[in-house]
Amino acid sequence: MFGKRSRGVKDFSAELEAHVQLEADELEAQGVNRREAERRARVALGNGQLTRERFYLRHRALWLENLARDFRYGLRMMTRNPAVTVVAVLTLACGIAASATVFTWINAVLLQPLSGVSDPGRLVTLESVTSNGDWVPSSYPDFIDFRDHLKLFDGIAVSHPVAFSIGQEDHADRVWGEFVSGNFFSVLGVKPEAGRLFLPAEYGDAPGAYPVAVISDRYWRSHFGADPSIVGKTIRINQHELTLVGVAAPAFHGSIPATAFDLWVPYMQVAELSGVQPWMLRDRHTRNMLGIARLKSGVTADQARLELKALAERMAVLNADVSLGMSATLIPLWKSPHGPQGLLIGPLRILMGISVLVLLIVCANVANLLLARATVREKEFSARLALGATRLRIVRQVLTECLLLTGAGAAIGLAAAPFLGHALRYLMPPGPMTVLVSIDTRPNLTVLAFTAGICVICALAAGLFPALHVSRIALSTTLNSGGRSGAAGRPRNRMRSALVASEVALALVTLVGAGLFARGFQQTLHLDPGFDPNHVLVNQFYLSTNGYNIAQRREFCRRLGERMQSAPGVTDVGYSDGVPLGFEPSWWEELKIEGYAPRPDENMNIFRNVISPGYLPLMHIPMVEGRNFTEQDDLKSPAVMIVNQAFAQRFFPGLDPIGHMIHGWGTWFRVIGVAKDSKYHYLSETTPPYFYVPFRQVYREDMNLAFYVRTKGDPESVLSTLRAQTRAIDPNVTVFDVAPLKEFIGASLYPQKIAASLMAIMGTLALLLAAVGLYSAMAYSVVQRTQEIGVRMALGARPGNVLLMVVRQGLTLTGVGLVAGAALAFVMARMAASVGFTNSAMGATTKVLQGSAADPLIYIGAVVFLSAVAALAAYFPARRAASVEPMKALRTE
Amino acid sequence: MPTRRDESERIALLQGTLDLLILRVLLFGSCHGQGIARAIQRQSDEVFFVDHGSLYLALQRLDESGMISAKWGVSENNRKARFYTLTAKGRAQLNAKTSQWNRLKTAMESILSPAGEEA
Repeated sequence: MFGKRSRGVKDFSAELEAHVQLEADELEAQGVNRREAERRARVALGNGQLTRERFYLRHRALWLENLARDFRYGLRMMTRNPAVTVVAVLTLACGIAASATVFTWINAVLLQPLSGVSDPGRLVTLESVTSNGDWVPSSYPDFIDFRDHLKLFDGIAVSHPVAFSIGQEDHADRVWGEFVSGNFFSVLGVKPEAGRLFLPAEYGDAPGAYPVAVISDRYWRSHFGADPSIVGKTIRINQHELTLVGVAAPAFHGSIPATAFDLWVPYMQVAELSGVQPWMLRDRHTRNMLGIARLKSGVTADQARLELKALAERMAVLNADVSLGMSATLIPLWKSPHGPQGLLIGPLRILMGISVLVLLIVCANVANLLLARATVREKEFSARLALGATRLRIVRQVLTECLLLTGAGAAIGLAAAPFLGHALRYLMPPGPMTVLVSIDTRPNLTVLAFTAGICVICALAAGLFPALHVSRIALSTTLNSGGRSGAAGRPRNRMRSALVASEVALALVTLVGAGLFARGFQQTLHLDPGFDPNHVLVNQFYLSTNGYNIAQRREFCRRLGERMQSAPGVTDVGYSDGVPLGFEPSWWEELKIEGYAPRPDENMNIFRNVISPGYLPLMHIPMVEGRNFTEQDDLKSPAVMIVNQAFAQRFFPGLDPIGHMIHGWGTWFRVIGVAKDSKYHYLSETTPPYFYVPFRQVYREDMNLAFYVRTKGDPESVLSTLRAQTRAIDPNVTVFDVAPLKEFIGASLYPQKIAASLMAIMGTLALLLAAVGLYSAMAYSVVQRTQEIGVRMALGARPGNVLLMVVRQGLTLTGVGLVAGAALAFVMARMAASVGFTNSAMGATTKVLQGSAADPLIYIGAVVFLSAVAALAAYFPARRAASVEPMKALRTE
Repeated sequence: MPTRRDESERIALLQGTLDLLILRVLLFGSCHGQGIARAIQRQSDEVFFVDHGSLYLALQRLDESGMISAKWGVSENNRKARFYTLTAKGRAQLNAKTSQWNRLKTAMESILSPAGEEA
């Protein structure tokens, strides 16, 4: 039809007319009069209009019609073999549900990190960069400079996530929200659901001048019943009155990926609401603002980054006292080190790889099933070919049937995906992050498109082998063989063998993967954290939300400490700013060390914790040298510091660290002790230098408060005491996030935990699928060979020989698969070993896969296990084959 | 009772067969559509009745796939008519299809012939 001038309907009509004339001539010659002859000729031609229409539609109509017919026929085939259909559809549903779920997560975390904002493609994260290249948050004065001087941006906003309390003192809700710059919503392009968002008049930098708030749609619905009249009313936030001016659009959850916030308040209210000192708003050293910027259209990220860098470096020179060597950069939203995506990216990548593997196994399985069906239907196909159907037509029929199967599988898989999507939530450790993580698991357009794509790929992959097979049918052989099954089977059997072997190989890869991750996770669990998290209860207090100032906070801690210390069953009490191995980033201080000359690019930002005197004894972290803090180390006495062993080795090699002077927070501290090394951020980290300063000397408004109680028995047993004592000191302070420390530090294991658990699930799935595949392949090949087996047995083979023969055939296939799989698994494990994750704002990363990628035990275990499964899968059909009565077998067919 | 499927198979049969028959008729020289129809009817002892609409569509299809070539000309009784000629490709196709058909015929016969030898 191509390459030739296409013929018009007119020409075709002329031909039909010519036909009528010719026919009429002939009839006339037979003695019919002309009129009658023409009438008869026309009748014989039939409906000319219809024929012309068919001519006109001949290409389009034909394939559409064929497609419809293929579908109808495919559906009939599906219902005719319900067992095959059910197995194939369920298998496909498993594979598609798994990939769709993983893709939903990836989509939510990586591809569309922020929802409810306009044109997210032009939004980038703005991070300050320290002299040695670490990413750090920015200060508010830095933000003002960026906002006012950069030309290539449509706006720059900052946010500072914190806990708020909403409501009256004694029945307040704790919600997570963000202190934001006034232009926050306009930069992000968020629409209000009710009321308004912040107005340009509220974009200014005057402390305490903008007592307004915006809440999330979620909070509006759950707490105010979506009542529009709430807009304009006052609500009580951190015991201060603010005007609720509006509700953000339902899709908007804040500026941190995969995290849901419920409240937004201008940062200028921070002094009033959180008791932060007003000078901190003007302090370039108070780096607590997370930047987000919108590029002007037509400006590339590189151009904008250059402009930002130039400005930041000029600022670093102008403010050399605090910002020496600082710079700034832009990074894509999904790479932002803030929020849970740093934890999730690594495991998600590995998961995606695994779900692709599972999908491959699924395709191999379905291909196997279909190939078996195709063999059975060989005669049907041959007859169709003989009757004039083209091979293409039959291949299309086979592929249409595959598409029907995968379509049904995808429908079930998609229906299951939202439920599976929530599983991520169950794997979260207890603690504040549980409420924060928001992943929209409803399948959206992107996910649907992805699933449709997967569906087509599956259909092609699963249909390829059967289609190839069909296209190679040798007409005469098939028809002549009269269905004798042994004869024409060589290439087909080779194809099936390849499928089974590759299935085994893929199953081995997933199994080895699951084993490596599980073992790595287990090894990490057994690492000594250097402190004792057992029998310790930890609670995070958010006293600033109760309007406490710093002195009141210190006093609260002292009183609660005293009361808890005397409670029954309590052995130790302590409190600190940061929780070791927690979810939240650890903080650091830039230090100057007397007598130590840092190299020009040396990182002098050292991680630290601010602790009470009871903290180290409570954690069972022993002092190696010197003394612990005491209650007397307060504001009236000289500033003191305890360093860890790694700190001492790095900065005072071969010297006694005690008595050295170290500068931070604008004062000089004297080192009074060395604490034993422990783990601070990841169980698998190499111990960084670390130091402790006393709560009474350094505690500042922007620090957190974690309160620990060590008990003799079950830590949960003192929970009620803790609540009661807290209430006794101040009924307005509520105990929200209390958890055993052992569970709380699970956060640092989270990525490994999800990787290990999901790998285990995927591994089981892969194993099941491979077992089903092996079994069906073996069972089928036995059925195919029934006649041959009958002959063998008639000639004297004993059932044992037959059994052995069939099992050996199965195991040979398995063996080939195992060898290939082991090689593949090794390569993939090496790749997975390079994937890391981070939970710290400094961008420090650790590996998801701990331990060796070449652990021989795991490989051997997986091989043995799979061989056993394969032997079983071969055994049952073999036993059936061996029990066949020779005469019956010979008579089959 | 004829189902839709039977019907669709009959069309497939006609299609495949009709093409073969057209090629066969053209083996004796070029001919126009009406002549082909007459020839098929005559040579099959009037068993086949050729649906003229399908015939012209089949001719068009064969023309498009290069099995036959078409040219307007004048018939023996001076009527304008479109004449079809077998191409080399069509000739090869005819040979292939004919032998295929013969094998099919043999196979079908051996299957359909009264089963006496199985007991």
